[in-house]
Amino acid sequence: MAARGHVQDPNDRRLRPIYDYLDNGNNKMAIQQADKLLKKHKDLHCAKVLKAIGLQRTGKQDEAFTLAQEVAVLEPTDDNSLQALTILYREMHRPELVSKLYEAAVRKVPASEEYHSHLFMAYARVGEYKKMQQAGMALYKIIPKNPYYFWSVMSLVMQAISARDEKLSQTMFLPLAERMVEKMVKEEKIEAEAEVQLYFMILERLGKYVEALEVVQGPLGEKLTSELQSRENKCMMMYRRLERWAECNALSCKLLLKNPDDWQFYLLYFDSLFHLIDQSWTPPHEGAHSAEGEVHASISQALSFMEDRIATEEAKESKHLRGPYLARLELIRRLRERCCPEAQQLGEPLELMFQFFVKFGDKPCCITDLTIFLDLLAPDQYVQFINRLMEAVPLCAPGEDGVALPGDTRALQRHLCVTQLSRSLGQQHALNTEGKLSLIKQLKAHYRHGLQFGKSCLKTELQFSDMYCLMAAHVFIDLWLETGDQNMLWQCLGLLEEGLSHSSSNAQFKLLLLLLYCRLGAFEPVVDLYSSLDAKHVQHDTIGYLLTRYAESLGQFAAASQSCNFSLRFFHSNQKDTSEYIIQAYKYGAFEKIPEFIAFRNRLNHSLHFAQVRTERMLLDLFLEADISSSLEESVKSMSLCPEEDDIPWDSLRDNRDLTVLVSWDPKDRQLNEEHKQRSLEEDTLWLRLRSLTLRLIGCVSALAHPPASRNSEKTTENGVTAKPSSLQSLLSQLENTLNQATQFTEKQPQYPFVGPVASRLAQALSSGCCQCQLSSLQIPLHLQELEATGLDESAELQTQISNLFKSLAVQLQDMLEKCKGDLLEVKDSQSKPQPFLLENHVYLVETVCIVLWVSNYCGSVLRPLKSSLQKKKKKKKEASTVTPPVLSAYQEFSSSLQSLLNQALEHIKSQEISLTALKLGALSLEGQTLSEAEATFTKMAMEKVQSSYLRSLQEIGELLKKRADTLKSLKI
Amino acid sequence: MTTLRAFTCDDLFKFNNINLDPLTETYGIPFYLQYLAHWPEYFIVSEAPGGELMGYIMGKAEGSVAREEWHGHVTALSVAPEFRRLGLAAKLMEMLEEISERKGGFFVDLFVRVSNQVAVNMYKQLGYSVYRTVIEYYSANNGEPDEDAYDMRKALSRDTEKKSIIPLPHPVRPEDIE
Repeated sequence: MAARGHVQDPNDRRLRPIYDYLDNGNNKMAIQQADKLLKKHKDLHCAKVLKAIGLQRTGKQDEAFTLAQEVAVLEPTDDNSLQALTILYREMHRPELVSKLYEAAVRKVPASEEYHSHLFMAYARVGEYKKMQQAGMALYKIIPKNPYYFWSVMSLVMQAISARDEKLSQTMFLPLAERMVEKMVKEEKIEAEAEVQLYFMILERLGKYVEALEVVQGPLGEKLTSELQSRENKCMMMYRRLERWAECNALSCKLLLKNPDDWQFYLLYFDSLFHLIDQSWTPPHEGAHSAEGEVHASISQALSFMEDRIATEEAKESKHLRGPYLARLELIRRLRERCCPEAQQLGEPLELMFQFFVKFGDKPCCITDLTIFLDLLAPDQYVQFINRLMEAVPLCAPGEDGVALPGDTRALQRHLCVTQLSRSLGQQHALNTEGKLSLIKQLKAHYRHGLQFGKSCLKTELQFSDMYCLMAAHVFIDLWLETGDQNMLWQCLGLLEEGLSHSSSNAQFKLLLLLLYCRLGAFEPVVDLYSSLDAKHVQHDTIGYLLTRYAESLGQFAAASQSCNFSLRFFHSNQKDTSEYIIQAYKYGAFEKIPEFIAFRNRLNHSLHFAQVRTERMLLDLFLEADISSSLEESVKSMSLCPEEDDIPWDSLRDNRDLTVLVSWDPKDRQLNEEHKQRSLEEDTLWLRLRSLTLRLIGCVSALAHPPASRNSEKTTENGVTAKPSSLQSLLSQLENTLNQATQFTEKQPQYPFVGPVASRLAQALSSGCCQCQLSSLQIPLHLQELEATGLDESAELQTQISNLFKSLAVQLQDMLEKCKGDLLEVKDSQSKPQPFLLENHVYLVETVCIVLWVSNYCGSVLRPLKSSLQKKKKKKKEASTVTPPVLSAYQEFSSSLQSLLNQALEHIKSQEISLTALKLGALSLEGQTLSEAEATFTKMAMEKVQSSYLRSLQEIGELLKKRADTLKSLKI
Repeated sequence: MTTLRAFTCDDLFKFNNINLDPLTETYGIPFYLQYLAHWPEYFIVSEAPGGELMGYIMGKAEGSVAREEWHGHVTALSVAPEFRRLGLAAKLMEMLEEISERKGGFFVDLFVRVSNQVAVNMYKQLGYSVYRTVIEYYSANNGEPDEDAYDMRKALSRDTEKKSIIPLPHPVRPEDIE
């Protein structure tokens, strides 16, 4: 903790124990110590603030805040109090109060550099750019140091960036910033590189590229030294903006001569070349071609430039660079696109790619390199191409199983590369079932044979032949998808488990296993797999979806909570964390990073995954914890769920998922493309909308059942829970609309590549009937409200309507239950076939039952007083009539049908558990496949994992359902 | 063949193929932002023509000039499995050394797990030598001490007599290093 600089101050000595307690997390002792100190020294304000920090950290936010404000109103000017309050406000997520604090301090001590600078940073934390600009200037006036001046300039740039009105940026903020810098330039006061960077940034944003170029090339540019090639990169950027292709070309040439492997400059070289050709550019009659020297403006010059680069490489003994060879292929592509006959002069792509393979085939990246250029081959060349490459793979004579194997790791890598290319060219997909099975056999032989080369590998290293194993798994998946043969999947899992046992750090094995287990509905093994990936921090955003998509839908509620928590913890810390580094960027003059950090913070705050886990976590908490009586209200309150407020930035959701984290060598037409990504985002957003509306509607129901205490007063808000009938109605119609959109969406049956994005829960949820059923049940309260207003006597029609709704809801629930029936692991002809959709249907049933119970509870609360007043009336009039109003009997009927439904569901789950436990999967022969003993062991292991996971899911689902069933009796009226 | 450029925040969303390696640590966001804010020039990523990230280096400059300890430090260096054996790590190290030269550093140093023989050998080939062993420098996820580190150094041109790399005779504890 801060503020321990001045040792002389006796107060520091007194406060030190409190700091120490806080530092060590001993908040209770810190509070006690502060109290003790305050008894003796009543006006030692800092002690109060430190006590408040202790309170804040022990969950007593309100008390902490009150205490802190006692000090804040005194407008303290001692370092200790100010810094302690800053820490406290930050922990309270109230950074705006820090500005208030230092505004007061600066007023009282106007000459303090320190307080002024704190004030600037306080504004920076909350993005008050205008005030930052003023604070920076005020600071510069007291202490004329350059950084302060440029803080102010940068604040102007930030006003420009954040301004809604682009015109205002261009005509006011940026020109003003420019003039401020120009003033310093004129006075020759520019000192630091950061100041030049900022000047460049301003000119660039103003579109003054010529001026920006002059700065970089002039004496100020000499200060640009930290970053390598900083001046060249900036010049290049400006040449492109200015479309000065001659300079762009000449500079790329120069940079390529220096580093013939830097791909970006080949692209710029080609771009500029063709622009120059299109412009029929000719060199000036005298003098240099361009400010950057010689320009290539014809194809023949480019050809000879490329030939020279290659000749240089060829002349080298070792360490050949791949750049020039690949650039030649790139040039062919570009020439072909323009239908230039010169393309042929560079050679036949097949031959060139073969030569590339001869040189670099033993590098693991050869496949990545060549894949980009496969489209230069004609389809009728594919076979020839693969055969040609195969000639350059040294293999030993075939063994008894007919498979020729490599003798060392280099040969292995070459063979692997050809195999990968053959897959990328679609040759594996073209095989029939028999062909694929024999391919798998070969791949497995190569895999196992290759393990001998990696005997001395550390456990952190990969095995040389791992990729064969992965590819065999891919072929198994192809077969499974084509034929539906479950055995293919079991064997695939077995093989990957085998692979992982030899190469325990292989993330690709883990990821594919994880995906397969999820698709099979088995979440239990996934928990360990994911945790062994050691995914942390930002990875929770990029690959966390693999966990959170499945955990809850497969009935592993505890794991689901946990995985949501991982992600949420990361997102919540983001806001505070990034702000601190925005401030750091000002301190270090990394001005370019400031807008970057702000964009990054937004990207995380607007993450689709963040919105998903936030919503799912709340739903999950309600499903798991809130039973129908008062605790729904409590839960809703504690998560400050406000039905009328939508906190999801629908229009700016960012899809931060890493959808290419799993390796794929599929041909281009089977690869993930932009359309898949777009559709998947659309699908996930629709599902999120459904869930978020459901959540808000649950909030409404809770508020209806427990209206704020002061019912008649004007004030309707209490701890954020409000529900007006209007919001219920509007949310219901939004849910209905979204449901229609969702139905239309799923009718299109979107398909994604197997290793691409995972489908959302949408399709299964719709087919289970849960969405419709939840909507039906959430509609009932609307009618009950009406009944409450009209009373029992005058509402015959309404009562019939409500009775029908109850009846229909009972039927829908029964339908949902029917869709849960069937064997999770169906055994047929001694083969086991998992039916994971049944598991999901169970989960949807439980979720729906929870909602129906909350709604029923509300109905009960409306009907109960109506019934009792009816009875009172009866007693008074001593009428003998025994006719029960239809709505009351319908409700009672519904309650008992609910009871019977839950009993049936529990019965079914129990019987599933029993039959699953009794199932001896190991005894099932994997028909038609001759598996070695080891293979059989791994496959059996995978099967048992699935079986065990199903059992656990059933148990968790059963327990939750039972807990809910126990609350049924409170529905009585 | 790679594109070498400054690492940006957006790269954090794309570096899984590099960071899912068991010896590559994924740090909290503040750690990366601190480097980006303070030493942006020292954080370089290389990108394949297809857009995949191949590897990155993250470093800083620190130490007292007066005591001739001003130096470049390699905080993280990692290359994705499929882009190994191309000399990419060497290229990135070379860039970091050049930046440190420009800043007038006396040497470049780095810490490496003693068990990570592949890396130790690579650094030796690049001219680094073990300056000292730091006992229990690495800790496991549970906070327990896990492994020792080598502090490896390479002298830069400013250290003409190569004084900075004379090995220490005894291992040190993490709290003793600056």
